[in-house]
Amino acid sequence: MISRKIVLPGDLVSTNPKTAGPGTYVEGNKVYARVLGLLDKTDTGVRIIPLKGRYIPSVGDTVIGIVREVTANGWIVDINSPYIAFLPVLENPAMKPNRKPNDVLDIGDAIIAKVMNIDPKMKVTLTMKDKLCRPIRVGRIVAINPTRVPRVIGKKGSMIKLLKSELDVQIIVGQNGLIWLNGDRRKVSIAEEAIYIIEQEAHTEGLTDRITEFVKKRKVEMGLEKPEEKEVSEDQG
Amino acid sequence: MEEIKLIVDGKRLDGRGFEELRPIKIEAGVLKRADGSCYLEMGKNKVVAAVYGPREVHPKHLEEPDRAIVRYRYSMAPFSVEERKRPGPDRRSIEISKVSREALEPVIMKELFPRSAIDIFVEVLQADAGSRTACLNAASVALVDAGIPMKGIVTSVAVAKVDGVLVLDPMKEEDNYGEADIPFAFLIRNGKIESITLLQMDGRVTAEELRKALELAKKGAMEIYKLQREAIMKKYVKEEEVME
Amino acid sequence: MPEDILMEIKKDYVLSKIRDGERIDGRKFDEIRPIEIQTGLIAKAEGSALVKLGNTMVVAGVKMQPGEPFPDTPDQGIIITNAELVPLASPTFEPGPPDENAIELARVVDRGIRHSEAVDLKELCIEEGEKVWVIFIDIWALDDDGNLMDASALAAIAALMNTTVPAERFEVGEDFPLAVKDLPVAITSLVFEDKILVDPCLDELSIGKNTITITTDQNDNIVSIQKSGPFLLKEEVFDRLIDLSIEKAKEVRRILKNINS
Repeated sequence: MISRKIVLPGDLVSTNPKTAGPGTYVEGNKVYARVLGLLDKTDTGVRIIPLKGRYIPSVGDTVIGIVREVTANGWIVDINSPYIAFLPVLENPAMKPNRKPNDVLDIGDAIIAKVMNIDPKMKVTLTMKDKLCRPIRVGRIVAINPTRVPRVIGKKGSMIKLLKSELDVQIIVGQNGLIWLNGDRRKVSIAEEAIYIIEQEAHTEGLTDRITEFVKKRKVEMGLEKPEEKEVSEDQG
Repeated sequence: MEEIKLIVDGKRLDGRGFEELRPIKIEAGVLKRADGSCYLEMGKNKVVAAVYGPREVHPKHLEEPDRAIVRYRYSMAPFSVEERKRPGPDRRSIEISKVSREALEPVIMKELFPRSAIDIFVEVLQADAGSRTACLNAASVALVDAGIPMKGIVTSVAVAKVDGVLVLDPMKEEDNYGEADIPFAFLIRNGKIESITLLQMDGRVTAEELRKALELAKKGAMEIYKLQREAIMKKYVKEEEVME
Repeated sequence: MPEDILMEIKKDYVLSKIRDGERIDGRKFDEIRPIEIQTGLIAKAEGSALVKLGNTMVVAGVKMQPGEPFPDTPDQGIIITNAELVPLASPTFEPGPPDENAIELARVVDRGIRHSEAVDLKELCIEEGEKVWVIFIDIWALDDDGNLMDASALAAIAALMNTTVPAERFEVGEDFPLAVKDLPVAITSLVFEDKILVDPCLDELSIGKNTITITTDQNDNIVSIQKSGPFLLKEEVFDRLIDLSIEKAKEVRRILKNINS
């Protein structure tokens, strides 16, 4: 059995500097935790899975953002991070020579984009040249703590797959903690509720089963599905 | 002014021994809107700390291209003291804010967040002696709770000289009528005191007493450090993962 | 406060000299710059002093007037210390109310005077509970070439030594010289790694404004300490700073004692 215990900044997590991974720092040949998080230690590496913190962009991340300003060269986009991002006109396939930037995306519009570049001063450039990227005109955006994103996605996307298949909704998870949901209004609500449960309880065992149960129960409560036949007769309990 | 005896029969006025802290209560993550927060009581001090960030810097011209700026605001509520205090920073608060910020700055990994701000706000709701040390202890827990990368944890405690003896964590009377007040803060890493991050002194001591005061402060800081850890663990322990 | 580009440029030079065990102006690590003290230069003030510490220059003026005592000390005079980093003294100083640096400067100087009991506040009582002397010490920076702290502390105590209590002007008796009973001396050192540079000049501060000020009285008691700057202070360095500051203060105190002779 593996346990992932909580570590605090300054806790010694390894004496082998070669194993130092994300969330750690090395000083005097020792590896210390630098953030509050769960210690994930194997023979080859040690990292800290953060439990709190803001979203810090990283190249290749899918993010959901909201246009805050339109300029002649592109759009200034709030990506729920200390750093405001810029989407150049050339990186938006919807831009055509005869269109002005604010005809394509206006202040307040939400988009799904990818982080294309980050310079050393943390100037973040986005692109929408990817099949996942789009302006968000329908559906709903929900917000969770960015550090919980991996939990919502699940191992190899298992949790998202579960929600998608059980509820038949579109889900795109931004690494910045914003998640886009689209589909039947009531099913989207169930997905949203499920996401909040995952955010809160991801550390507990058997979560996948509990989420499956939850989704089924809510579908029945909302009249989207008939109650399942009981597999076990009551007198057996 | 009449002489006030601060040590009676080898005990302090509140019954404590010389090397004993006042009761401390710490709770992490008490505010919903802040990225990290802490409520702390130390004697009669009642303080709340909040951390916001890293976030965008306003006003923009304060941005640093290669690191985050750290701001610390120590503030006392008008009702926190006997005689109502006019709201807003006075000279004392400005000095405390400066030295407290400088106590945390070398521990925070500012270089990880260029062009951003980490804001630390501490409000003293009820003031007792050593409010700056109480505030720093709370701020330190709030920083951890906010997920801010740090080299370790900052822990603060004062030592006073009263009636010729050194005492840990002075209370009001000892602060007012004592011969010296020496607030310290330390960087504690992996349960070990690494260095001094805040040091002030007000009063009169000999060099030897000063060295002894440091040793006493270190002892007190280690106890507070354990309580800071416990407060954070209490909030997050349910997150510990057990996997097959 | 905007960074001074000239300071930025000096940084590498200062660091490389320190690695060679040298300071840029050829001083030893524990050597204080030449001190010049001139007192009584402001005739309108009750006491005054101009202090030059190398190129750093500060003037302190003392003004006194009768005022109401604090309720908890009805038989004691009052000292109010203020410092202004006026824009004339540095390209990085800006007009406006005292910022945190000016406030810190004034408060550290004040603590040195207060806790060394350089001025016997009880001798400044005119009428218990009604009227006491209020001493205003105003520190005016004229040229900041580093370590305004020690220059200011020196100017303040020198100005006090030069002060005549203006009793006649306020019709409360005859003028008399203010009795100064102790000579607190502040010694500021720049801490860089495990090195200590006493009395840093401005160029040296380009490597980080990480200083410790230790003020001692004439009996070698420590009466004030201030760590200033975002740095980690090793215990071992602090330990060395204590004795060093006591020793250095003795040198400065000798100069201070000679100004009136």
